[in-house]
Amino acid sequence: MNGLQSLSNDLAAAVDRGGRSVFGVNGRARLGSTGVHWRQGLVVTADHTVQVDEEVAITRPDGRSLAARVAGRDPTIDIAVLKVDAPGVEVADVADSDAVRVGHIVLALGSGPRASWGVVSSIGEGRRARSAAGDLFHLDLTLYPGFSGGPLVDVQGRVIGINTSGSSRHWQLAIPAAAVNRVVDELLRRGRIPRAYLGVSTQPVRLPEALRQKLNLDQPTAVIVVEVQSGSPAAAAGLSIGDVIVSLGATRITDPTDLKSALRPDKVGESITASVVRGGEPRDVPVTVGERPRRT
Amino acid sequence: MDTLIDIAELADDLRRVTVEVTDADELLGSGLLWPPGHVVTNAHVVRRPEVTLRLSDGRSLRARVRARDADADLALLSAPGSGVPAATLAEADTVRVGSFVVAVGHPLGVRGALSTGIICAIGPIDRGGRSWIQADLHLAPGNSGGPLADAGGRIVGLNSRAAGPLALAVPMEQVARFVRAGRV
Repeated sequence: MNGLQSLSNDLAAAVDRGGRSVFGVNGRARLGSTGVHWRQGLVVTADHTVQVDEEVAITRPDGRSLAARVAGRDPTIDIAVLKVDAPGVEVADVADSDAVRVGHIVLALGSGPRASWGVVSSIGEGRRARSAAGDLFHLDLTLYPGFSGGPLVDVQGRVIGINTSGSSRHWQLAIPAAAVNRVVDELLRRGRIPRAYLGVSTQPVRLPEALRQKLNLDQPTAVIVVEVQSGSPAAAAGLSIGDVIVSLGATRITDPTDLKSALRPDKVGESITASVVRGGEPRDVPVTVGERPRRT
Repeated sequence: MDTLIDIAELADDLRRVTVEVTDADELLGSGLLWPPGHVVTNAHVVRRPEVTLRLSDGRSLRARVRARDADADLALLSAPGSGVPAATLAEADTVRVGSFVVAVGHPLGVRGALSTGIICAIGPIDRGGRSWIQADLHLAPGNSGGPLADAGGRIVGLNSRAAGPLALAVPMEQVARFVRAGRV
């Protein structure tokens, strides 16, 4: 057998192994998506593909259908976790996603199983790639319709991330397994996935050159606070309308999306420093990240 | 890297069994030298009783359409005297999702072009439709009728059309069934 044939066998074996923990997810009209049996009884999928709030029909690798419940969501990284009773379905072998390098051969799996292959083309490069998930994997492969929420596996069939085309269909991204683990761990620890919040509304704002030089900032933009909700963590911290937030913790804030991304579920209860500009002067404001009250 | 040498050799082997189907210098598509003395291609490639085949060594020969099935999108041509050993088929049970595959053909008139990918799925693309070998591999007009082969150069399907970025090939056992019926 030559090298190519053994590569081919490895790829088919990886699909076989990875596919044993792959579910079909029917959480939206028309197009289904894919999910991964991440921990015993918990199936992870892409949040944007689950448009129902409670019961979701899912399909086991052996084709049998069953009902799952939405156990929690983290829209900031596009992950939803479903609770399911699926004895006999293997739990995915989740690998260390920090070991993934640009150029590694990877496979994207859909339920069926279906598969596409390619390489990791970049990690965390570009605007969209900065997210609450940390550095996302950009993929040089095709995510076919229905592949969102499915596993990105290495040539050994180990899961290194969750694929998503976002809601745009034009992206081939994967959320690293480490970020998915954080969400699942939060769910197991608290029994739910909290939504972190500060209680401010913001708009992007351009930083004048003179101010950037004065404060030694290299970012061209930041966000300006246009509303502070009463009783919110931001109000308690003394943030006020007109404050310009340039960073939150270690995250640079260049637009409102950055702010959302910085507010990961596991930050709830943590005190972080908001670096703001108030009246042209820099100021550090400690804020305790709150949990967004649930709508009743 | 050895694997890359393997791909180059694989492409050379496949080019020998892949013909250009032409008529009056117009490229109609690709064809596969199989079974011995014959060429199989898509029905939509040959819409006339006789065509000219161009072999990879540059020789041309006339070929008559022996059988044509528009529904199956398959055609059998008699092509005696090519002197080229016919292609080898893969065993049906070696065709697995994830397996490495290559396509050889003449997309957009590019002679003997190689595309590589993996088997994405095996089955219908629409519920109740016919079964395809679906490959994660790029095809273009001119690939039709050419071979889809495994990592050992054995033929798994006949490339027939593209569904977006997905290549659809008629599984070789369907082609073999058509040939058995057509040769009489």
